Amino acid sequence: MMKKSNFKFFLLPLFIVVCSIVMTMAFEIEEVPETEMTSNSLSENAAPANEPFDKMMAVLTHKRCVNCHPAGDRPHQGEDSHVHNFGVQRGEDNHGVAALRCESCHQQENNNYSGVPGAPEWSVAPLSMAWEGLTRVEIAQSMMDPAKNGGRNLAEIVKHLTEHELVLWAWEPGVDAEGNPRELPPVPKDEYIKAVKDWAAAGAVIPAE
Amino acid sequence: MKISFNINGSAQTVDVDEKTPLLWVVRDLLDLKGTKFGCGKAACGACTLHVDGESVRSCSFPVKYAAGKDITTIEGLSSGDALHAVQQAWKEEIVPQCGYCQPGFMMATAAMLDKIPNPTDEDIDNNIVNICRCGTYYRMRKAIHRAAEIKNTNS
Amino acid sequence: MSASKSKKKGLRRRKFLKYSGIGLGLIIGGGYLSRHMWRRSIFEIAESAIVPYNGNLSPNIWFQITPANEIILHSSKVEMGQGTFTGLAQLAAEELEVEVEKIKVVHADTASGNIDGMSTGGSLSIATLWQPVREMAATMREMLKQKAAEKLGVGIADLKVENGVISAGGNALTYGEVVEGVTDWEFPDTPKLKEAKDFKYIGKPVARVDLHDKVVGAPMFGIDVEVPDMLHASVVRPEKIDAKLKSVDSSKAASMPGVIKIVEEKDFVGVIAETHVQAENARNALKVEWEINKSWDLAEVRAMTKVGNGKLTVIQKEGDAKSILDDAEEEGSVVKLEFNTPIGAHAQIEPNGATALVKDGKATVWLSTQVPLITLNEVSDRLGMDKENVNIIPKFLGGGFGRRLHTPNAVQAALMSKAIGRPVKCFFDRKQEFQNDTFRPPTHHIVRGKLDANGNIEAIGHDFSSGDVAFNSALMPPIAGTILGADIGAIRGGAIQYRSIPNIRAESWHVDLPFATSWWRSLGLLANTFAIESSIDELAIKAQKNPVDFRLSHIEDNEAGKRLRNVIKTCAEKAGYTDEVVNGRAMGFAASTDAGSPCAQVVEVSVVDNQIKVHKVTAVLDCGIAVNPDQVRAQVEGCIIMGISASMFEQMDLKDNKLFPVIYGPYQMAMMRDAPKEIDVVLIEGADFAGPVGEPPLGPIGAAIGNAVRRITGKRLTDLPMSLA
Repeated sequence: MMKKSNFKFFLLPLFIVVCSIVMTMAFEIEEVPETEMTSNSLSENAAPANEPFDKMMAVLTHKRCVNCHPAGDRPHQGEDSHVHNFGVQRGEDNHGVAALRCESCHQQENNNYSGVPGAPEWSVAPLSMAWEGLTRVEIAQSMMDPAKNGGRNLAEIVKHLTEHELVLWAWEPGVDAEGNPRELPPVPKDEYIKAVKDWAAAGAVIPAE
Repeated sequence: MKISFNINGSAQTVDVDEKTPLLWVVRDLLDLKGTKFGCGKAACGACTLHVDGESVRSCSFPVKYAAGKDITTIEGLSSGDALHAVQQAWKEEIVPQCGYCQPGFMMATAAMLDKIPNPTDEDIDNNIVNICRCGTYYRMRKAIHRAAEIKNTNS
Repeated sequence: MSASKSKKKGLRRRKFLKYSGIGLGLIIGGGYLSRHMWRRSIFEIAESAIVPYNGNLSPNIWFQITPANEIILHSSKVEMGQGTFTGLAQLAAEELEVEVEKIKVVHADTASGNIDGMSTGGSLSIATLWQPVREMAATMREMLKQKAAEKLGVGIADLKVENGVISAGGNALTYGEVVEGVTDWEFPDTPKLKEAKDFKYIGKPVARVDLHDKVVGAPMFGIDVEVPDMLHASVVRPEKIDAKLKSVDSSKAASMPGVIKIVEEKDFVGVIAETHVQAENARNALKVEWEINKSWDLAEVRAMTKVGNGKLTVIQKEGDAKSILDDAEEEGSVVKLEFNTPIGAHAQIEPNGATALVKDGKATVWLSTQVPLITLNEVSDRLGMDKENVNIIPKFLGGGFGRRLHTPNAVQAALMSKAIGRPVKCFFDRKQEFQNDTFRPPTHHIVRGKLDANGNIEAIGHDFSSGDVAFNSALMPPIAGTILGADIGAIRGGAIQYRSIPNIRAESWHVDLPFATSWWRSLGLLANTFAIESSIDELAIKAQKNPVDFRLSHIEDNEAGKRLRNVIKTCAEKAGYTDEVVNGRAMGFAASTDAGSPCAQVVEVSVVDNQIKVHKVTAVLDCGIAVNPDQVRAQVEGCIIMGISASMFEQMDLKDNKLFPVIYGPYQMAMMRDAPKEIDVVLIEGADFAGPVGEPPLGPIGAAIGNAVRRITGKRLTDLPMSLA
């Protein structure tokens, strides 16, 4: 009997993730009315993905992205987005400080042995790209602002959002220190990429909210 | 697979699963036991060594990334009998108690001093975040400042 | 001297010669074993007594001098950072008349016969060996002089002994030269020991004897052991409490790379492989089922750990505190505070493990252990081997703190080695280390105090509840509970040290928790002092008195009281203690007496954005003679930082039978930035012997911080870890 409940407990996070994905897909097909979508919100900041913008922002507001777009000098981590353990800091080049570089622990790929995540250029987003605490509209505006986005134009933004390995890591986030899989963004990768491209192609309109 | 690198100044080739953490290659294949296992999760810093001069937690560093690199462990921190400034300072301040975490701290400190020759207390707090259960932090801080002095005098 | 005793001497000599080839071994028996620990009163053990050394002084090897002039001290106490090796070397050097650095201190393996029956712990290593080691060294010196006189052809009185050289006239012999060729030694009566005023090495801050090795990363720890032909293993341990191994499916693991054998025993499953990583990977592939007896979470454990639950023992009773406090509570004139402390992990950095070789009817186990004798008994019992055929070789410990009083790892490694006929090394991963710790038990305390018309304490009561510390411990015989009543570990620091209070009562409640709790550095002292010294402070505030004067006015007029008073006064003076909050910083004061060593501390604390920061600690300890003042200071500093860690950050949680966190970081501990930048340690030698050092300074720190926070914020923090958020 206990065995059964253990099993359930262990599978619960996975179950939620799977449901998220399934529900996202369902919404797209059935075009569920907006009120109902809101009540089934998949992400803390965003309405569920229906329109390309919604889908894109459901991903960009997810902890897999925002944890490393902090408003201050401390990245966040984990499903509860706690401040990174040990007081880890962004440092001058966003790669940490002298003897505590991001690369001191994070390598080019996930380390499933230690549970330390990794991807090329693992680093904290520059302070100008701080997303923590912003609404999805504010994040989108910030993302589109060349003064804040590293001087990227729309094509470069799309390329970054859809091709950069560190961004796409969000769909292959590996396991944590205890071997449990990290939560995925609420929209599948292919759909997200399509949404970003569709949104850009349609004029990259940021809705007023 | 075969992976070659320099360690403490000499060339080495190991034949091992490329995902093996560098820590275990260093400890068990190369029998350099100064680099310690503490948590295996890059959390405690006991396994800190240098890869191309940068401080790295070797328990979370697959050996494949060591290919072609220069690795330094605590055994290679000194040159011959001449202790590194950090080791000298550690002795002067009589820092170690149980001593188990100390190589990791010394390696992190040496990496910091290469980039910050005169660290402030704040630099020390931000850079040296290894865990010591005996609570030698108070003496370590003194030793780090002392090591900076020794290093600056020598250079 | 009786015939049987002389016979024993001969045995000893033979044993030594067999052991070391050529050289000198020395054995002094004597009255140190005369009183058995459990028979002494609880109060004495908990509060003041230094129990006599309970290991073997005979017949076995303590000292060895080789013709190559090596002087080797075989220590029955292990070195876990506390500096015991250095202290023992100083004690020996003093009477041997040789420089400290010429003495090499090594761990005695159990085959040498030098086995410690009381483990390494309780702050008692130097305290109990202070006399015997000097006596043995002095005796050996006289033995060396005897033979030197023969070799030099002069009278003993004509010899001069200095720096390990015995000389007469123009001739001189090193100790190595003296022992060369000698097979027949005379054992003289124990010589008179040096007086303190003549000490050359005792009381000097000599560098640790293991300093160089620890600075260059020498392979000295249990986990560093390397044996030819060695394999690596990894074991399955319960991830849940109150769980029993039900079944294991090893089909997948057995075919994984490097796997050589999977060993299934009644209480564990182990995977033996070529490398550590392979063993661990295969272990993770085992499908293990557990049978869970009952489901548990933290709330239940907290509810169990309440004053009024379990077994009551009154450990201190003066006057009629209970009825005075009950009446005062009814009329509303009592100060009553409730405290909680959490489950604490040892979190030492070197995980537990062992390397074993069991072959041809012999077993050798290398490991970090605080209890070589218990490890020996466990291995020989489980393997069904005679103790003579089992050798336990202690290695330097990567932290002890009480964690290595339980060494099932030795049995596991030995069983696996036996199964494969090759040496096997096996140690825990960090998750196993956290989940299978023998934790500091959670505690609950109710302190009540009543002031008289003059603002002095008329009555005080400390009722507290704790899980096992000493009970059910490998160190205690199963009947200890019956003999002693109270758990002698849990009650450490639980009695009120202000004995001039006319009415005192301390009640210990013992509960059985569903997971292992045991000795954690300083045992109950940390929690009990937090509760008592926070309450004393609150009573001083109510009495509108300076908390230092308030404490001083309640101390009994006797020897212990005199030492406590001196420590408190000195600490307040040295720190410049004030009640006032100056520039956002407040001071907090607390004091405790543990195992006879009083310690007082003043902390300077600020609170910014609800974050408590400890800037400076002034600590005064009276441990009697400080054999090595530098290492005593190091112990005080370490206790302060470990105490800050435990008081401000650490706690284990329990949900669905899982204890967590299982990693550093989530299990938050003090780091460099949390350690005070100033620690001022003052040592007072208020006794003419070397008293306990390694734990007493853990007492005051938590309460001192809480008392400072109270001055700044007005808030009385009653739960550890302390938090204002």
